[in-house]
Amino acid sequence: MTRLQINGEVRNADVPADMPLLWVLRDVLGLTGTKFGCGIGQCGACTVHLGGKPARSCLLPVGLIGEREVTTIEGVGATLAGAKVQKAWLGVEVIQCGYCQSGQIMSAAALLAGTPNPDDSDIDAAMAGNLCRCGTYLRIRDAIKRAAASR
Amino acid sequence: MKGLSQRGAVARYVVIAIAVIVVVAVIGVLWIVLGPGPMDFAGGKTVALAGYHGPDPTGVPPALVQASVVERGEYLSHAADCQSCHTVQDGVPFAGGRAFVLPIGTLYSTNITPDKQTGIGAYSDADFLRAVHRGIRRDGARLYPGMPYDAYTYMTDADALAIKAYLFSLAPVSASAPSNTLVFPFNQRWLLSAWFLLFSPDRRFEPNTGHSPQWNRGAYLAEALGHCGECHTPRNLFEALNNRRKFAGEVQSGWRAYNVTTDSGSGIGGWTDDELTRYIWAGHADGRGTASGPMGEAVDLSLAHLAPDDVAAIVTYERTVPAIATPDLPAVKATPAPASHKQGVPEAFEPRGKQIFEGACVSCHDWTGVSPLTSWATLIGARAVNDPTATNVAQIVIAGTVRLTPHGPVFMPAFGAAYSDLEIATVANYVIARFGSKPSAISAEKVAKLRKQGAE
Repeated sequence: MTRLQINGEVRNADVPADMPLLWVLRDVLGLTGTKFGCGIGQCGACTVHLGGKPARSCLLPVGLIGEREVTTIEGVGATLAGAKVQKAWLGVEVIQCGYCQSGQIMSAAALLAGTPNPDDSDIDAAMAGNLCRCGTYLRIRDAIKRAAASR
Repeated sequence: MKGLSQRGAVARYVVIAIAVIVVVAVIGVLWIVLGPGPMDFAGGKTVALAGYHGPDPTGVPPALVQASVVERGEYLSHAADCQSCHTVQDGVPFAGGRAFVLPIGTLYSTNITPDKQTGIGAYSDADFLRAVHRGIRRDGARLYPGMPYDAYTYMTDADALAIKAYLFSLAPVSASAPSNTLVFPFNQRWLLSAWFLLFSPDRRFEPNTGHSPQWNRGAYLAEALGHCGECHTPRNLFEALNNRRKFAGEVQSGWRAYNVTTDSGSGIGGWTDDELTRYIWAGHADGRGTASGPMGEAVDLSLAHLAPDDVAAIVTYERTVPAIATPDLPAVKATPAPASHKQGVPEAFEPRGKQIFEGACVSCHDWTGVSPLTSWATLIGARAVNDPTATNVAQIVIAGTVRLTPHGPVFMPAFGAAYSDLEIATVANYVIARFGSKPSAISAEKVAKLRKQGAE
């Protein structure tokens, strides 16, 4: 039995240690807000926070998480940066199809938690690994700046 | 008269010059041909196995001594890593056909399943021993030394025949390897008899009474079975191992097999026993990186299957190999890179490389080089990122890593089809500048060459 701390709660899952966290979240614990995209850490749709840092859950064996706190899209609104990002996302109407949105918000929230006033290069460095097939990158950048400026 | 004697003097000088050149060439060839054997560095006195009073350094570990000959053969075939070369990617194990791309053409491994027509099913015990010990095929033709019979020659008859028993227990597979495409004169197999006479000792393992039983077991595993030197020892003019520089590192199949001598800067002299044991057994030690490419394969197909005492014996043996420095390999940088993308590498350095890194690499490897996911993906401390030729970093980017380790799967995507040679070169240079101790300047042309050499 693997013991996980997810969004402030303790969750237990009877899964093999090499199962990626994404499978545990979606198929075992029913937290389906985190999306499967490529499965090889190249699209960002499955991004969660691990100890506050962004991590691709599709390549993260659940047995390696240990005591580190996991935050998913279902819980990120409870963090200051996460709440700001979600509000700005709605304000700018960032999403088009929405599939990449969970991952984009998780990466953006982690960026703002560590770099409260990011410049364009900081946004590139943090967000380049999150693909958007609809090409909403300009709105994503805009929303991150708006979230950074908000109180 | 005067003119004649002058001409005579000139002729004399020419003769002397030619004689000097011939003598130097003969000395040079003798220097190569009379080089030491793989275990000669150890000094001490060797005795025939039958006359050795210590525990038998050959055969299987104590737990398997009572096992069937097929089980013993399976362990020994893992230790000798037969499967790696005799299997194509995703193919039937031991059915052969794997390509070895050499500057002189391409060599294909053979089918060693017990199929009578295309495999080794018709081999008698004597035929098998002749192939393993002396590199002679059943039909009498010479095998290329891609088959490491210069190492396997040290194997006992009993161990070689146990491996045969294991191979003969497998299902026969009808599969003919493609014909070799070596250029003249290298396609003349009869020439290999000269190579054999000069470079293959054709004798069995002899324990060294000046070293411990554990050392002797390690020597047998590393030399007679594991053939570590086939990749890690530099080769001479005749493509035989140059044991004067034993384990000092070499490029094989487009990958760099690093220095594994006891040199502290460029070798493994600074590693703890625990790190060395873990790396050999699992292909990873925290702070030392993760084996990929041919070494990853050697670990998963061979070394990971060894008994703990056998791994410890290899470590004991390896610890006695004399230190030889590799001048172009700096000491490994052990400190993480800065957490900010703005620090660590000057802004003007390989901007395209940085752009690729932030899009494709950061999510697993982080700006610090310490992976937030798993220490297996941590770049800090790995030799490959501390290699200013960037050879293995480029190869890993091209081919990715797929390893089925005893600790679960380890995976990195292959980017060879996604990025151009120039893009791979620039991201490799960025990675090494960010995480290594000395920058690299690999070119797109070099990446193109590596693609060909690494390709099967």
